[in-house]
Amino acid sequence: MTSNATRWALLGAGTLAAAGVGRVVARRRRRRQPERRDGWYVVRRGVTVDRPRDAVIGFWTDRERLDRALAEWASLEQLDGDRWRCESIDPADGNGGWRAEITVDGPGVLRWRVTDGPVPQQGRVELVDAPQGRGTEIRAELRYRATPLRRAFGLAAGNEPDLALRDTLRRVKSLIECGQIIDTRHDPSGRSPRQERATDRVREKLSAGGRA
Amino acid sequence: MRALCWEGVGKLAVRDVPEPRLRADGDIIVRVRASSVCGSDLHLINGYLPAMREGDVLGHEFMGEVVETGPGVRRLRVGDRVVVGSVVACGACWYCRTEQYSLCDNSNPQPVFTEKLWGHSPAGILGYSHAAGGYAGSHAEYIRVPFGDIGAFAVPEGVPDDAVVFTSDALPTGWMAADFCALKGGEVVAVWGAGGVGQMAARSAQILGADRVIVIDRLPERLATAAGRLGVETINYAETDVLEALREMTAGRGPDACIEAVGMESHDVGPSYAYDRVKQAARLETDRLVSVRQAIMACRKGGTVSIVGVYAGLVDKFPLGAAMNKALVLRMGQMHAQRYIPMLLDRVVTGEIDPGYLATHPLPLEQGVRGYELFEKKQDGCLRTVLHP
Repeated sequence: MTSNATRWALLGAGTLAAAGVGRVVARRRRRRQPERRDGWYVVRRGVTVDRPRDAVIGFWTDRERLDRALAEWASLEQLDGDRWRCESIDPADGNGGWRAEITVDGPGVLRWRVTDGPVPQQGRVELVDAPQGRGTEIRAELRYRATPLRRAFGLAAGNEPDLALRDTLRRVKSLIECGQIIDTRHDPSGRSPRQERATDRVREKLSAGGRA
Repeated sequence: MRALCWEGVGKLAVRDVPEPRLRADGDIIVRVRASSVCGSDLHLINGYLPAMREGDVLGHEFMGEVVETGPGVRRLRVGDRVVVGSVVACGACWYCRTEQYSLCDNSNPQPVFTEKLWGHSPAGILGYSHAAGGYAGSHAEYIRVPFGDIGAFAVPEGVPDDAVVFTSDALPTGWMAADFCALKGGEVVAVWGAGGVGQMAARSAQILGADRVIVIDRLPERLATAAGRLGVETINYAETDVLEALREMTAGRGPDACIEAVGMESHDVGPSYAYDRVKQAARLETDRLVSVRQAIMACRKGGTVSIVGVYAGLVDKFPLGAAMNKALVLRMGQMHAQRYIPMLLDRVVTGEIDPGYLATHPLPLEQGVRGYELFEKKQDGCLRTVLHP
């Protein structure tokens, strides 16, 4: 075989291999993309809380516990019997972030809609009895508007509605079950302040999102 | 305060670090009186579990004295002498309520790493990397223990610190390994590894009804200790073909139950072991599976293989065909400390179990680096180094 033919053969094989790998990657990415409907991303997440449904509802209606639970990251204001206004708090500077309106639709069902925030989003939460006496399933459906690029940047930066939802569900579960959200940020270490800041960033990455 | 910190792969140093403070109502602060090195620390130190950060305080097997309690602590008081389970458990989730404490849903604040690696996140573990929550460890003068009422247990007077310390981890791990075997009485049990956990597994198997226990290792002094202290039979795998020896010792049947108490850095001799070393060094596999393979191949048909040696990720040449076609029961897991510690403390108090002999090298915390060197290189007959801050 001439050297020219070898080059063409290698080029052909390389192109075929790249196309094959690209196709597998694209298929895998497509499989992991959330559903899109009318320009909205739609994700469904759930977490099982080892408490009866009444106890889970009781958590939301116990204002003192709720305020204590939300203290670091949101404030809550009741507008009327079934409507609430929630304002997120940026843990970095303590200032307000987005605002949302929460409406109770019935026993164990509520809706929320972000009225002022960087990403338009709305969602619904439903409480369902878990099988085998395993407590209560908190099932959430979130819809948010973002371009694929913005979503990718949000995921990379750890600032994305789906990540926030999963994080919130896990926090809620922990608060209802054991009354606290465990934290190791201030545990002793032999790190310099600069190393500690870098480690805190790793902690954030390892804490944000998850499987809930 | 002084603490033994991880400084990078294979590097440790004793440093000044800030003292811990109460962070939640259920926290307690314990002044550490004895903190043991553990074989699983070596996996962290040597970078096989890539979730350590420079400056992390090591150590998870310890006992000490309560010096401060959060307002929500009910069962313990300042001044109590306690042993603390290395696994952190909230005591309130479904797993904790069913006594599967090492699977606690709420005690790992950094679950994303293990969720991606293993599908779900198990419990946090003190001093055990950021995969297990990033908790500061016990090789320090003081340690914060979350959910103190759940994880710390008051120790009766009269039992020395260096015996009590092993009821934190080595003894409950060994007990759980034997418990997994569901012994009915009269069985032959083989135990891979004559370290602290292996010897405690052997003793536990005897108490739970095994007629014969055979311990396998390559270090003559450890095998001699096991034989002398526990009255077990031994096999030195550096000198003897383990599978042949076990077949012969059981008249062809194989052991009824095989306990693996070695973990991801297990040793062997021969070319297949060299192949595993190369693959692990090149990070083409995370764990060496030598002793699990042997356990599966040696176990009698329909027997149980119980794995308590620590594995982290992916392995090569797992003999699934042997396990499947011999209808083996495989059981494994991190130990459920809180389930076993009270019962084991009682057995230590009565003298039925005496884990104190494992503490061959008590050393001050300042000599922690030397302590790990003795332990890792198996120098001077070191079975366990116990650090005293």
